[in-house]
Amino acid sequence: MFLIRAIVRPEKSAIVMKALFEAGFPAVTKMAVYGRGKQRGIKVGNVTYDELPKELLLVVIPDADKDYVINTIMESARSGEKGQMGDGKIFVTQVTESYTISSGTKEV
Amino acid sequence: MKLILAIIRIAKMNETKQALSDAGLPSFTAMGVMGRGHGRGLGPKYEAIMKDPANAEVLKELPQEPRLKSKRMITLVVTDDKKDLAIQTIIKTNQSGNSGDGKIFVVEAVDSVTVRTGEKGDLTLD
Repeated sequence: MFLIRAIVRPEKSAIVMKALFEAGFPAVTKMAVYGRGKQRGIKVGNVTYDELPKELLLVVIPDADKDYVINTIMESARSGEKGQMGDGKIFVTQVTESYTISSGTKEV
Repeated sequence: MKLILAIIRIAKMNETKQALSDAGLPSFTAMGVMGRGHGRGLGPKYEAIMKDPANAEVLKELPQEPRLKSKRMITLVVTDDKKDLAIQTIIKTNQSGNSGDGKIFVVEAVDSVTVRTGEKGDLTLD
């Protein structure tokens, strides 16, 4: 089981969520975050903006669906044909256990 | 060392805080998140209506994507032997049996450091 953390543009998050829903992954957690990337933020004249607003999507998925979900997020979060700086990042972590609170069942 | 991510109802936050500190795990971080799960979050009564084929025509006009709901996510790092205690405490306080009670995910944590003292490893945890 993998935890996928995708940092995407705020205006793209609804599109990504829709793509995930249509791909059969309705369960998503979303939060607003601020951050900078490899380009050290955006420089306009003398001012550097290095706390850019983004949205963080958390999805937990079975092992077999990893590449499919990553591709779905990547294609829907990309701006334009080739993509732009600031489109975001996807991080994948191994999840060892998962529980549903309402039933108390454990899924491995 | 394990990192536990628990997504729970906002209304259960106080009870969960109390239960965790009673269990000897007082330290955690909480944040407000929005999310959706596998269910539509409407409860069992509505789910029966949704599944009824007689309503299929009307239901087509509803928005197909479920709405995001406000939740709290608590993250805590615990030693391996306290993992089950933390999970059982969270499940016990949050379980109402309805959909929307939340989820718990367990991720392997590699290391932990106390900023003030520079201590590393299990020493830094509860």
